[in-house]
Amino acid sequence: MSLNPQTERQQAKKFLYGLCIFLAFMLGFPSLANLWFSFNDVTFHNLTGEGFAGFENYRKALGNPKLWEALGYSLRFGLVATIFEVGIALFMVFTLHPLLLRKPWLTAVLMLPIMVSPALMGIMYRLILNEFTGIIPGYLNLLGFHVTLMSRSMIQYTVIAIEVLQWTPFAFIILLTARQSLPYELEEAAAIDGAMGLKYSLRIVLPLISPAIYIVTFIRFIDSFRVFDHIFVLTGGGPGSRTTSISIYIYKLFFQRSELGESVALSFVLLVVSLTLLYFGLKLVVRKEQS
Amino acid sequence: MIVKEKGASKNSIEALRWLLFIVIALIINLPIIATILTSFKTTADINSSPPIFFFSPTLSNYIEVLFKGNTNLLKYILNSTIIAGGGSILAIFLSFPAAFAMVRHGIGSSWLLPLVTNIRALPLIIYAIPLYLMFQLVGLLDSWLGMILVTATISIPVALVLFVGFIQDIPIEMDEAGRLDGASQRVILWKLIFPMSRPIVIAVFLLSFITSWNEFLFGLILTTKNATPVTIGATFFVTTYGVKWGATAAAMTLSVLPPVILGLFAYPYIGKSMLSGAVKG
Repeated sequence: MSLNPQTERQQAKKFLYGLCIFLAFMLGFPSLANLWFSFNDVTFHNLTGEGFAGFENYRKALGNPKLWEALGYSLRFGLVATIFEVGIALFMVFTLHPLLLRKPWLTAVLMLPIMVSPALMGIMYRLILNEFTGIIPGYLNLLGFHVTLMSRSMIQYTVIAIEVLQWTPFAFIILLTARQSLPYELEEAAAIDGAMGLKYSLRIVLPLISPAIYIVTFIRFIDSFRVFDHIFVLTGGGPGSRTTSISIYIYKLFFQRSELGESVALSFVLLVVSLTLLYFGLKLVVRKEQS
Repeated sequence: MIVKEKGASKNSIEALRWLLFIVIALIINLPIIATILTSFKTTADINSSPPIFFFSPTLSNYIEVLFKGNTNLLKYILNSTIIAGGGSILAIFLSFPAAFAMVRHGIGSSWLLPLVTNIRALPLIIYAIPLYLMFQLVGLLDSWLGMILVTATISIPVALVLFVGFIQDIPIEMDEAGRLDGASQRVILWKLIFPMSRPIVIAVFLLSFITSWNEFLFGLILTTKNATPVTIGATFFVTTYGVKWGATAAAMTLSVLPPVILGLFAYPYIGKSMLSGAVKG
C-alpha cells in the first residue's frame, strides 16, 4: 500500500533542507555580512566597526575614477572576446560538423583547452611567449617579425587573444551540440528544395540554432566580464592599470590597499547590479528562445 | 553527409576539412603541447634558438620538481585532489535530493532552481571578501574543509541543473512501483532513483572535479600554505625558479594532466548541461 501524497510531500521537503542550509551559510550569510560591513566604518584591526558610516563607503567606492576605468575594461574585454569566440565557433561548426559527425572522438581534441585551469593556461602562455626561450617569438623571429607579445603595448591584445583561444572551444561544443540535435530529415528536405552547402547553413541551420547562439553569447560574456585568473597571473592588472578587470580591481582594493569598507560596498553594488542584469538578461534569452 | 558531393570535389572538401581541423587543434592546444615538450627538454635544449622539435627526452625536470629541493608539488597535488574530490561529492549529495524534490514534488523549482543557476553567473569576487572575513572568524582559512565548502558551492549550479534534467526523463512509473510497496520517499530516492542515475552522477562528479581543480581565485585568497591547491602552487614555480623553464614546465604538466584526462570522458556533458540549464532554469 502506498503512503498518502501529503506525507510524501512532507518527506520530500526534507530533501531540500541540506542544500538550503548550505547555501544560507555559504552565500546568504556572507551577503548579509557584506551589507552590514558596507555601512560600517570597518578596518582590519576593528572588524566590528567604529560605528555607522552611512553611505560613506558607497560614496568612496563609486566616486573612485579607477572603478569606472576597470568596469570599462571588463565590458570591452567581455564584448570583444565574446564576439570573436562565438564568431569563430560558428565558423568551426559549419565547416567541421560533417567531419565530427563521422569521427566524434576528434571533438575531444578540440575540447582540451577548456579542461585547463585559466591560471595555468596563463603561465603556459608565459612560457611560450617568453622573449628568449618561448617558441612563438622564436619562430616569429625566424620569419622576420620582431614583436614582443608580452610588451606594454601588446599585452592588452595578448590577454584577449588568450581568452579567445582558450574559450572558443566552449562556445563550439555548445553550438555543435545544438547543431547535432537538428533532425536528420531536415537536411534531406532542404536538399530536395535545392538548399545546399553555404545556403543551407545560413538560411536554415543558423536560425534553428539561434537559441543556442543567444545562450552561448550570454554565458561567454558573463564569464569574460568577470575575468581574473589568467590576467592576474600574466600581468597582475598592469602595466599601470591597463589590464585591470573589475574582479582584479576589487581584489587589489581589499588585499593590497586594505580599503575594506570601499571594497565591500563595491562588492555589494556589483552583486545587486549583476542580479538585476541577470534577471533581465535571462528573460530576454528565454523569450527569444520561445519565439 | 546525405547531400552527395561529386567524386573529386568531395575528396578535396574532405581534405580541406581535415586540414582545418588539424590547424585549429594545433593552434588552440599549442601551449599544452609546447609545455609538455619543454618539460622533457634539458636546459640547453630549451635555450637553443630556433626552438627545436627533435631532442633526446630527459626526466630530470620531473625528478627535480617531485623529489628534489623544497618544492611542495606533491603536497599541492594532494591538496587539490582532496579539495576537488570532497567538494564534488558534497555538491552531489546536496543537489541530488533537492533535484528529486523539485522534479517529483515541485518543491522549490520555482524559486530555488533559478536562484541557484544564477550563482553560476555571479562574479565570484563578490563573495571572496565576506567569505575571507567569515572563514577567518571560524578558523576555516587555509584548511581543506574551507576549500571543500567553497568548491562545492561553485559546483552546485551545474550539478543541480544536470540532475533535474536527468530525473525529469526517468518515467514516473518507476516511483509508482516503489510507492505500491509502501516505500517512503527517502527509500525511493536513494534505493531506486539514485542507482538509476549513475551515468549522470558520474558526469557531474567529473565536471565538478574539473571545475574545482581549476579554481584559482578562492585558492589564492583563502589558503596560505597548508591547503594550497595546485593552481596556486604552480604559480610559485614561476617566481621561485625564475628562468628554470624546464622545471616549471614539468610542474605545469603534472598540474594540468588530471583534469585534462578526466575531461576526455566528461566533455559531451558540457554542451548538454549548458543548453538544458538555460531552457529549464
